[in-house]
Parts: sequence; C-alpha cells; structure tokens
Amino acid sequence: MKKSLSLLLGASLLFIMTGCDKKEETQESKMTYKLSTAEVYEQMCAKCHGKNAEGNTEKKGPALNDQTIQELRLGITDIKMGGSGGHSSGTEHEVMEHNMKKIIEKGMDYDTDAMAQYIHDNFNKK
Amino acid sequence: MDKKLFKENLEQIDAYLKQEGISRRDAMKMMGLGGAAMMMGSGIATEAKAASSNAKGKILIVGGGLSGVATAALLMRTLENPDITILEPNPKSVSYQSGQTLVGGGVWTNSDIEYMTADFMPDGVKWIQEKAVEFDPEKNTVKTDKGQTIPYDYMIVAAGLKLDFARLEGLGITESITSRGDSSAVKKIIGQNGLCSIYFGDGATDTWTQMQKFVADAKSGKKVKGIFTDPDTPIKCGGAPKKIMYLTDARLREAGARENAELTLYPNGGKLFGVPEYNDAMVKQFATRDMKYNYNHNLISVDPAAKIATFKKHWLEKGEWDDVLEEYEMVPASEKVEVPYDFMHITPPQMAPEEIASSPIGSDKGWVPVTQETLQHVKYPNVFAVGDVAALPMGKTGGSARKQYRVLVENLVAVMEGKKELPAKYDGYTVCPLITSLGTVMLAEFNWTGKPAPSFPLDPTQERWIWWLLKVYALKPMTQYGMLSGRA
Repeated sequence: MKKSLSLLLGASLLFIMTGCDKKEETQESKMTYKLSTAEVYEQMCAKCHGKNAEGNTEKKGPALNDQTIQELRLGITDIKMGGSGGHSSGTEHEVMEHNMKKIIEKGMDYDTDAMAQYIHDNFNKK
Repeated sequence: MDKKLFKENLEQIDAYLKQEGISRRDAMKMMGLGGAAMMMGSGIATEAKAASSNAKGKILIVGGGLSGVATAALLMRTLENPDITILEPNPKSVSYQSGQTLVGGGVWTNSDIEYMTADFMPDGVKWIQEKAVEFDPEKNTVKTDKGQTIPYDYMIVAAGLKLDFARLEGLGITESITSRGDSSAVKKIIGQNGLCSIYFGDGATDTWTQMQKFVADAKSGKKVKGIFTDPDTPIKCGGAPKKIMYLTDARLREAGARENAELTLYPNGGKLFGVPEYNDAMVKQFATRDMKYNYNHNLISVDPAAKIATFKKHWLEKGEWDDVLEEYEMVPASEKVEVPYDFMHITPPQMAPEEIASSPIGSDKGWVPVTQETLQHVKYPNVFAVGDVAALPMGKTGGSARKQYRVLVENLVAVMEGKKELPAKYDGYTVCPLITSLGTVMLAEFNWTGKPAPSFPLDPTQERWIWWLLKVYALKPMTQYGMLSGRA
C-alpha cells in the first residue's frame, strides 16, 4: 500500500521535474534534403509568391518579403505540419497545406527554419 | 478524499501494477527516479539559484493568471532587489482552469477549482487590481482602465485570451469574455436549453446540469443527439472539445443509456489531434465507443430556441492545371449545413484580448509575436510574453506555461544583466491529459517536433488509470502550490 502511494508520489514528482531540467535526448535525426533551399524556392515557391517574395495576387500568393523571421517560421511550420491542431482549415492556408504535401511528394522537401531564414535574408525589404 | 476512497485507489494502483506487469521492484525504481529527479532537479537547483542576480529594473506583468503569477514568484526568488507589479482586475484569476472539464463532467464542483488571487500573490509583488488598456512600448508605459499610467523597464505580457462567442450568429451575445471572469454576457444563453460550454467557469457548472438532463432523456428511452464543436481559431487546451465528449459518453454508459444517444464531433479541422501517434490512438478510441465525427465543419450560427446548429462545411475542389506543381490547383469551396441537437457543447472561437491585438505589441492575428524559443518580443527586446497570449505554434495549455515561465525568467534576467545571448530555449513542450472515460486518461505529451515527448518510460498512446490519478489528484496541487509559487 505504502509503496503504491510512494509510486504515485514518485511518478508525479518525476512528471513535475522532467522537462524542467531534462535535456532533450530525442534529437531529431538530421534530415537531408535533395535540393537546396534556394532551389526549392526558385522551382516551387517563386511562381505564386514572386521571384523576390513580393507576392502574386493573381495566384493568390501573399507577399513574404514584409514578414518578420518569426512570422515566416510560424507560417511555414504550420503549413508543413498541416495546421496547428487543425485550426487553419477552410482558408487559402489549407490550399497551401495541400500544395506542401505535393511538394514533398515531388522530392522537394525542405527545412522550414532554413526556408524562413532564406526568404528573410534574401528578400526582406527593410 | 475520504479514507475509504483513498484505500480503494491504492488497491487499484496495486492491481494496475500487477496487470501492467510492473514489478514492485521496478515500481520502487520509478519512485527512486522521481525522488532522484527531485534531489537533483529544479527543487534544490532553484533554491541554490535563488536571489542569484542583482540586476535591477521595474518589471510590469500584464495579467495575473497562472502564467503571470508563476513568473512573478520565480522572479521574486531570482532577483535580489525585485521590483515587480502585476496588473490584474480579476480577484479569482488564479483559479484552476484545467479542472473545468472535470466540473463539466460532474467529477468536481466549481468550489474545487476556484482560488482567490490574493492567496497566491507572492509576497513583495505590487498587485494593482486594474486592467491594462493602452500600450506604448516606445515610451515603456501602460495605461489602465482607471486612467493610471504605469512606467516600466521590462514588461511581461501574460494576459491570456478571450472567448469570442459573439462571433457565432443567433446567440445575441455581443461581448467577449475570459475563462474565469464575469460571464454574465454569455451565461444567460450558454448553459441553458441543452447548450453549454466548459470554457468558462459558470459554463462548466451549467454543462454538468445540461449533461445530466441529456443523460436522463436518453435513459427515459428518448433517442437523443449530442454534438460537440471545435472552431477555426487556436484554442486553449486542444483536447478539451473531445474530453467533454468522452465524459458525456462515460456518463451515458454509467446510466445504461448509451444506445439511445448519438454523439458526433464537428471539428473545423481534418483530424482529431495534431500529432499522428495520438490521432491514431484517438481514432480507435472513438470507434470502440461509437463516437462519430464529421471533419471540416466550423460552427457559425445557432438557433437556441429551435435547437439547430449551422456549420460551414468546407472542402477543396479541383481547379485548373498547375504547371509548376504538375497537379490540379485546389480551390476552397463550402456550404452551410444545419444540424439539430438535443445537447451541444460549444468550444468558442478564441482570440487575443482586443486591447492587446490592436496595440503596437500585438500582431495581425492578435497574438503577441515573440521569438518562439526565447519568448522575447520580436520588436521590443524589453518585452516578453508567456501563456495563451503569446504567438506560439501548438498548445495553449497550463502544461506549456509550466515550461515557458522558467525559460522567460532566465532570459529576462539575462536581458536585465545586459547579456547579448539569451540562455534558455523553449522547445514547444505541451501536455494534454486526455480524459477518455471516468477513470482513464491518455497522457499526450509532445513538442514542436510534432512527435510524442513522454516523461515516462511507458507507451504514451495507452489510456491508463494511473494518469487519471495524476490528472485528478496530483496536477491540481502541483499547479496551485508548485507552479504558482514558481517552484514546479
């Protein structure tokens, strides 16, 4: 009996403590991508978002050259993960999620943070 | 908990261990691990770190909920000369919101989760019971609803989020509310006549009343329909719209009336959960319980008298051929769908507080834009955000905040000490103890890798009695006495 109580207590303590101090040992195995970020941008993104990320209203591709690095990271991650918990459905965003799947199927997967950095470094108009 | 119940619980833990094939020895080992974690972990480390910085500056915390008070408490213990002010109008702001699901399911009552802010305000923190209404981050000042202008050197935005029932047509609601504040604008409609929501305090209590009526109807032999919504905005606790459905299912089964009720989830998204492993587990749990779901339905209006909900059902249609993708382009399409109900649980659209969204520290989407690892504002280096109001991917939960506030304090202190590098990084950890019945919980822990991040060496996709115990007995004291004092 006492041991069980201790177990629950121990388990809760473990729960409280983990993560606060635990270093993530579940490091993602480093993904390798076929194409460079620049190549993917040129071949896939540029048509709708513009060669310089200025956007393309006809293709409903919003400008990306006015977004902060953090906005780009959030947006691209959200698209690749299929929405943060399914909250982006029913928008152009959903269309882009569909497109992203196709881009991956074509072997043009990319690292989201690297893409955000690339767009920001090369096209940000500030 | 009375002694008899306590004894029963212990017996069940023993039985559970046996069934799981965990030996006493392993159990003791696990306990040892927990003990060791405590010895080596934050408990002692934090004590050693206490008052470890003599950095100075006037810190203003906007919002005194769980995140704001926990941050204040940890700062009080970290700084030698703390100067901390909290702006919080609600005297019950630290109430235990995570318990609202259990109130809605009739396991707890409101008195189990309502706490007075005054009892948890750390000694030495100046609490101004007013609301911040104007932000001038260029001048480092905030104006309150009573007209005070408060200057600061560093600001932490911990203002939480608003429930926007007003976005739903037909309810006659025009104001947004908070989860634990005055809900008079909403509760006259939500909480009556089969309509309910656990997302606000009174709503949780009324949910239990409405659920009991629903169960009684089913028991009397009436064929009834229960529906559950999940909106197109980020929400607090992504699991809650489903937890309350699992609890409804459990209460119907308990009454022996499950076969008379049809339960259907209408989520705006196209899956039950964002993490594939947990999603797969939930799809199976739904199937074994005969709980149904219709994806891609966003609630837009309600006729509370006729008991009809109207959803916008949406999908993608094939458009023109796209040369670049070598695929047909997809075009969004939608139609309105009317669904009659006897019982409807609404998860309302949610948003950042209006006065913050429209201020210079807000953003297009409302949420306060911060660098996701450091929690520092993208434009103002002396401003940080924590909890629901921060623009972060994934979870808006107490579990997320529990990891964020420590990162924030470490980084803020570094800024105050004039350091260029921010030392601490948040990895997106969040936890959703998904209640799957009266007595079982699936402890869904995950982070920005989009993968499960379990704290325990157990299969995280299993429903377990021990997590029910964690949820019902351990997490509340841990939050109220551990986290609010900046210790856990």
